[in-house]
Amino acid sequence: MPDFFINGQPVHAERDQTVMQAALAAGFFIPYFCWHPNLSVAGNCRICVVEVEDPKGGNWVEIACNMPVSEGMRVLTDSDQVRERRKETLQMILLNHPVDCGICDKAGECTLQDYHYQYYGARSVSLDAKVHATKFHPLSERVVLDNERCILCSRCVRFTNEVSKTHSLGIQLRGDHSLVRASEDGAFASDPYSDNVIDICPVGALLSKNFLYKSRVWYLKATPSVCPGCERGCNVDVWHRKPEWKLNALDPKQNSAIARVTPRENAQVNGPWICNKGRDLAQIFERPRAEQSMLKGKAVELAAAVDAARRLIEGAKKPVALVSSWASNEEFAAFQRALGERLVSFVKADWLPQPGERVEDDVLIKADKNPNTRRARELFGPALPAFTAETDLVLVWGEGCNFAELPRGVKVIYLNSYLAPENGHADVFIPISVQTERAGSYTNFAGTVSSFSACFAKKPAVAHAQELFARLATQSKVVA
Amino acid sequence: MTGAKWIMNFPVTATSHSLADYRARGGYETLQKVLTSMKPDDVTKEVTASGLLGHGGAAFPVGRKWAVIKPNDGQPHHLCANADEGEPGTFKDRWVLEHAPHLLLESMLITSYAIGCRHSFVYIRGEFDLPYRRLQAAADEAYEAGYFGERIFGTDFSCDVFVYRGAGSYVCGEASGLLTSIEGKKGYPRNRPPRLTVKGLYQRPTVVNNVETLANITGIVARGAETFRKMGTAKSPGTQLVSISGHVNKPGVYEVEYGYPLAKFIYEDCGGMLGGNKLKALIPGGISTKVLTGDDVAPLTYDHASFDGAGSSLGSGGMIAIADGTCMVRLLQVMLRFYHHESCGQCTPCREGMGWMHRIIDRIVAGKGVPEDIERLIAISNANDGTTICGMGDAAGYATVGFIAKFRDEFEYWIEHKRSKVGGALEVQGTWHA
Repeated sequence: MPDFFINGQPVHAERDQTVMQAALAAGFFIPYFCWHPNLSVAGNCRICVVEVEDPKGGNWVEIACNMPVSEGMRVLTDSDQVRERRKETLQMILLNHPVDCGICDKAGECTLQDYHYQYYGARSVSLDAKVHATKFHPLSERVVLDNERCILCSRCVRFTNEVSKTHSLGIQLRGDHSLVRASEDGAFASDPYSDNVIDICPVGALLSKNFLYKSRVWYLKATPSVCPGCERGCNVDVWHRKPEWKLNALDPKQNSAIARVTPRENAQVNGPWICNKGRDLAQIFERPRAEQSMLKGKAVELAAAVDAARRLIEGAKKPVALVSSWASNEEFAAFQRALGERLVSFVKADWLPQPGERVEDDVLIKADKNPNTRRARELFGPALPAFTAETDLVLVWGEGCNFAELPRGVKVIYLNSYLAPENGHADVFIPISVQTERAGSYTNFAGTVSSFSACFAKKPAVAHAQELFARLATQSKVVA
Repeated sequence: MTGAKWIMNFPVTATSHSLADYRARGGYETLQKVLTSMKPDDVTKEVTASGLLGHGGAAFPVGRKWAVIKPNDGQPHHLCANADEGEPGTFKDRWVLEHAPHLLLESMLITSYAIGCRHSFVYIRGEFDLPYRRLQAAADEAYEAGYFGERIFGTDFSCDVFVYRGAGSYVCGEASGLLTSIEGKKGYPRNRPPRLTVKGLYQRPTVVNNVETLANITGIVARGAETFRKMGTAKSPGTQLVSISGHVNKPGVYEVEYGYPLAKFIYEDCGGMLGGNKLKALIPGGISTKVLTGDDVAPLTYDHASFDGAGSSLGSGGMIAIADGTCMVRLLQVMLRFYHHESCGQCTPCREGMGWMHRIIDRIVAGKGVPEDIERLIAISNANDGTTICGMGDAAGYATVGFIAKFRDEFEYWIEHKRSKVGGALEVQGTWHA
């Protein structure tokens, strides 16, 4: 049964829904700056006005984000009056906005830009100078604020009040001199979710210092991925250079570098947010990579190393595997299939909380800093690594293993992605690919499976662990 | 004399604001009567029957506001007296606070009883020094005498009052901005719905009434709605405290019975215009009401219907008389500077529009105006009409549109000739009446 009407069409609304929520759910478009589905209603940008038809005549306009649906009400989202009001509002919003899209990082994904073309599209009629305000105000080490671009929608303020709960941003002064500022105690700098304000800023006022002037967003492609920073497994988009905009001369490294990481909305896992660690995945994945297979520190071809490893496994009496908790479900399956019966497997925590890092909170961050511990334990049990006197071979998969704690005299096969001193100490070392070079999925702490795609191609000298296990097992299987 | 007196009905002396003097005038007897012999509903009914209109500016019927609150719905209710008298030209509440603070407090107690309020608040503007000291002293006296606190007059009714000093923001005089300010936040007005009588202070049903409105209550309950209705007109019963300033010989606060002839008030009661000048314009109730010309004033009587008919409104009763020779362009410049300065900056049309209008009028005065500026001012005013969170955007628009509608020639003259048509003065020569 229809509850009310949008542009003459019957629309069903849930109890306590606003016109904005009901209209968006029913597929109608209403523009908005300050409204955000995950934040409280501020109702200050006034762009979401809709016309309410009064049966007695005399329609009026009201903001959709704060208007509860009432039975039988008739709303127009794109009438002449509405378009006129939106045009006026845009004129006001742009009055003191610098319109410096040419040098603004947000250009291309800026709602103000989009709505301007949709509703206004004309030059300013103002003859007076714009109000000037601070440029490049450092809110923290990570976020830089351009007060001239700011349209004072207060989304960032509400984010720190309602989501990260640090109450670290506020609005200073009043009128058209109002300024978004960090609260005095510097809480914004220590807010582990601070970078979300960059995404929710509808204009280019809040900018990432890491990404500042790095690339135009239309040269970038977003590949769906999963943050491996903790067992929450937040869904993210990894932005990297589009293949068709490949850089040849300028800085070819950028073709295979992570430009930025943004949250990908998943209501079951992370909502529309991620923490700052997730933004810095490049710091994890772009550490110096191991690209050379080795036998006791001596460089060999990949095939030779694989062969040596296979023979070691074949000949071992009591081999043990330390399984990576950073591996994907697919890699676990491949390992299980190929070597599960041959080796006694334990789950290893690849990463532990780093000094200064927030270990756990009730927003997103979980204490286990590995993405796939849950699935790993389901397959290989929760027991801590244990060696017996008979253990003669250890297959170490991934980081986080202190070789000094391995039994003396055992042979070690080491699979790792990054340069590390241990690589040369292993009897066999095989470099493996990282998450951004392969597709797969992780099971997070709550059992939700999120999948990720490959952003870049791996180097030929590096192996995909998933394929490697089958090659390590070929002979052993025949013997068994 | 300006008709019947309801609030200013006692001689002001050095001690007339004290509890002893107030008691001698029958103070707190009404409270005792209410607490011991009336039900909360009876009070609300009496106030509704009186037809009392809000005196803060919007003239909303007081009884209808109170009736939204159900005293026994199991949640706390709040009463808040709006003493943040910030509308330029208005200083009538100040008289009540300075000379009849106990009248306000008794009325607040009676109102609290009617709406089931345990904690009441007075939000007083920060610039008020003497009024604040008088009110706080009166509250202390009332506490000592047992009119506030637990089990007043031995009944089950308990009530406290908190006097909260604002920091001088115009927007905090708006009811929801005021409540937000009491809550300790930046004084941003709130979107409606929900109305404040549904979710107000600390998200509880709250009645916010102007000081003068509340000051009427004790009399209405004491002497009955019928007596109150005998004053004024059928649609505007009672009286209004008018604070008149500007170019009149005797500025000050006058209690004017509704229906009183406006011209008589200005030319007789206020001693006429300063220096014998002609009345050029009259801002009838704070600068947010539309300006009237001297000719408009002649046939008007001081009541809502008469002023509405003239395209203006009574507003807060803050009247500003403007004599011939005053430059209306510069006057509007002063007003727009005020609105620009006081816009809270929360919603777009007002935040940007006030500054824009201010810059345009500054440019006109600087001799750099262009003919389109007049239309631009009107367009910005219209863009603010009904699109802002609180009424301030609309009010500034009304004021601007009113000035341009009545004195367009002065604006056009300044734009064309780059100087004022009337000499550019805001003050006129004359001697103030002793």
